[in-house]
Amino acid sequence: MVDGLLLLGGGVAAGVFGSLLGLGGGILIVPLLTLGFGLPLIKAVGVSLVCVIMTSGAAAGVYLERRVANLRLGMTLELFTAIGALVGGLVAFLIPERVLEIVFAILLGYTALTMALRRERAATPPALAVSDDTPASGRPSEDSPAEPMTGFVASLSGPDYRIHRFRWGIVGSLGAGLSSALLGIGGGLIKVPTMHVIMGVPLRVATATSNLMIGITASASAIIYLIRGGIDAYAAAPTAIGVFIGASVGSRVAHRIDLRILRGLFVVILLYTAWQMLQRAFG
Amino acid sequence: MTSDSTSTDLSEVRLEQSIGRLLTAGSYAAIALLAIGFGLMLIDGIDPLSGAPTFDLARVPADLVALRPTGFIAAGLVVVVATPASRVAASLVGYSRRGERRMAFVAAMILLVILPSVVAATGLEG
Repeated sequence: MVDGLLLLGGGVAAGVFGSLLGLGGGILIVPLLTLGFGLPLIKAVGVSLVCVIMTSGAAAGVYLERRVANLRLGMTLELFTAIGALVGGLVAFLIPERVLEIVFAILLGYTALTMALRRERAATPPALAVSDDTPASGRPSEDSPAEPMTGFVASLSGPDYRIHRFRWGIVGSLGAGLSSALLGIGGGLIKVPTMHVIMGVPLRVATATSNLMIGITASASAIIYLIRGGIDAYAAAPTAIGVFIGASVGSRVAHRIDLRILRGLFVVILLYTAWQMLQRAFG
Repeated sequence: MTSDSTSTDLSEVRLEQSIGRLLTAGSYAAIALLAIGFGLMLIDGIDPLSGAPTFDLARVPADLVALRPTGFIAAGLVVVVATPASRVAASLVGYSRRGERRMAFVAAMILLVILPSVVAATGLEG
């Protein structure tokens, strides 16, 4: 009884945080289940994938109905995320785990630094004030002239912002899918900065769209886990219920939360995860 | 704004809201099944950390009829895993009806790309 309620409470906390940041909550659930409840890593990852999909579904449903998530952009990018995940699944056993962890930690550190510096520069809210030639960072787009906003790519933009550097979005999405398959994460850690920092998508739209995309990325792996018995049903039920409640609450209060706080939380979680990765790599 | 573009916008809004409702409905259906299963676990005094029986799709109907916790939780897990692909399938239908071939193609390609995972999982099970 007590363990069930504790799993439920932990799931609520992970769901709120994951929904606000578009992370899916997986980063919090795996350490919660392994370090907090002594579950084997493989079972924790399986439960985490279920929770990641729950977070994605619950939050993305609300975001889509409120028209915060960009369905066209999300679907187009998740095609490349799915391709990356498929390739990642095929090469997963060929790359030494330590190399992956170090590369991942460097990537996280770089992203955290980029987000932190961007927070200091953003004196005015840039999210919904992006012009055709100016990305969200406020600097002129270096490759906009080579990537005119016409045709299909132009149709992926939102009503108040334009998409930039679509080709880099494809690269980032492939990387997100690849890292999701190789490292067992939802991929929001890469998707949100790619859309926000590189493509000029407002942070709120990027997190909402990331929630939409995470479901497909995680479900491909979760199918394999479920059929192979990698998901512990008893541990999954209370944790997933908690995550669902937390994600629903998170998506409803997201618009009331200061973007600077949201970005700050994102930087903290990126640095924490990078530190955990380095500890595992050199431990 | 012309009446054509207005109706197109409204059609797109309806599509997005329908897909949003599908995701919400899938999530609520899954959470209802998981909640019933968790409730039955508590009634039966099952420790969530005691280790559940391995997933077996063929046993789910019988477990549901017998009101066993594993039946409801397994059914909930199937709904969880299937909901994202259902959303893409719904997008494929919606964009096809709207005559948006490019977005319909994108949706079809996503389904095509995740298909190998199902095949691989089934193969691994066998």
